[in-house]
Amino acid sequence: MNVNGIIAIAASIAVFTGVGAGIGIGIAASKAAEAVSRQPEASGKITSISFLGFALSEATAIYGFVIALILLFLKWAA
Amino acid sequence: MDMSEKLTHAINPSVIFEIHLFGITIPIRDTIVTIWVIMAGIILLSFILTRKLKTVPEGKQNVAEIFVEFINSFAKNNIGHHWRHFAPYLGTILIFLIFANIVSIFNIIPGEHFKLRPPTKNINVTACLAIISIMVVLFSGIRFKKFSGWLKSFIEPIPIVLPFKILDYFIRPMSLALRLFGNILGAFIIMELIYLVVPAVIPAFLSLYFDLFDGILQAYIFVFLTSLYITETIE
Repeated sequence: MNVNGIIAIAASIAVFTGVGAGIGIGIAASKAAEAVSRQPEASGKITSISFLGFALSEATAIYGFVIALILLFLKWAA
Repeated sequence: MDMSEKLTHAINPSVIFEIHLFGITIPIRDTIVTIWVIMAGIILLSFILTRKLKTVPEGKQNVAEIFVEFINSFAKNNIGHHWRHFAPYLGTILIFLIFANIVSIFNIIPGEHFKLRPPTKNINVTACLAIISIMVVLFSGIRFKKFSGWLKSFIEPIPIVLPFKILDYFIRPMSLALRLFGNILGAFIIMELIYLVVPAVIPAFLSLYFDLFDGILQAYIFVFLTSLYITETIE
C-alpha cells in the first residue's frame, strides 16, 4: 500500500465524525418538534435555541471535514 | 485537465493581477476581487434603497425598512437592553455574509478567467470576520462592565473556571471561523463536482439548497452566535 492510499483512508476516517453530528442534529430536531407541539406559543424561542443546537453539534462534523481536507491538500501540495 | 485538477484549480484562489509597490509585489487574488465586487454591490444597493426617504414609506423604501426592522428586532430579542449599540455591527456582518455566501449564483459572465466564487471559502476571510467578532465581544465586555468587573467575570461563579474562560476567547473565534469556512467550502466542492459531471438542469435545483439555503443559514448562525457571545459577556 502506498502513502496516497493511507492518506485517503485517514481522510475518510476523519469524515466519519459526520455520524455523531447527524445523530445529534436528529435528536435536537425531534426534541424541538416535541417542544413546539407542547407549547406552540413558544415556537420563536424554541427555533432560535434549536438553531444554536444544530450549529454547535454540526461543528464536530465540520472539524472532521476540515481535517480531511487538510490531509488531502497536504498530499496534493507535496 | 482531469477532474481532480479542475477541482484543485477551482478551490485554490488564483492571482488576478499584481501590484508593484516600493519594490514589493503584492498579488491580488480572486477572493479580494470578489469582495470588492460584493462591496460595490452592497454600496450601490444601499444607495438606491435609501434615496428620497419619506415619513410614509412606499416602494423601495419598504424593502430597506423591513430589513432594518428585522435586524433591530433580532438584536432586541437576543441582546436585550443594550441592543442599540450592537444592531449596526450585526446588520453589517449579516448583509456582507449573505451576499458573500450566495455570490456564486450571480455568476453570469461566461469564461474561465474570472468567476465569482464565495470569498468565505477562503479561511483567511472567515478568520478575519471571527477575530473582528471576538474583538467586539472583548471590548463590549470591558465597556459595559468596567475593567474591574470584566476581570472579575473570569472567576465567577468559582475561581476554578478561570482557565476555561480564558480558553473561551481562543476557541470561540476558531469555531466561528472553521464552521463558516467548512460549510461554505463543503457546499462549494459539492457544487463544483456536480458542475463537472452534469453541467445543466440538475445544478439549478441543487444550487437552491447548497448556495441559497446553506449560505443564508450559515450567515444567520454566524451573526446569531456572535450576538449570543455578546449577551453572555455584557450580562
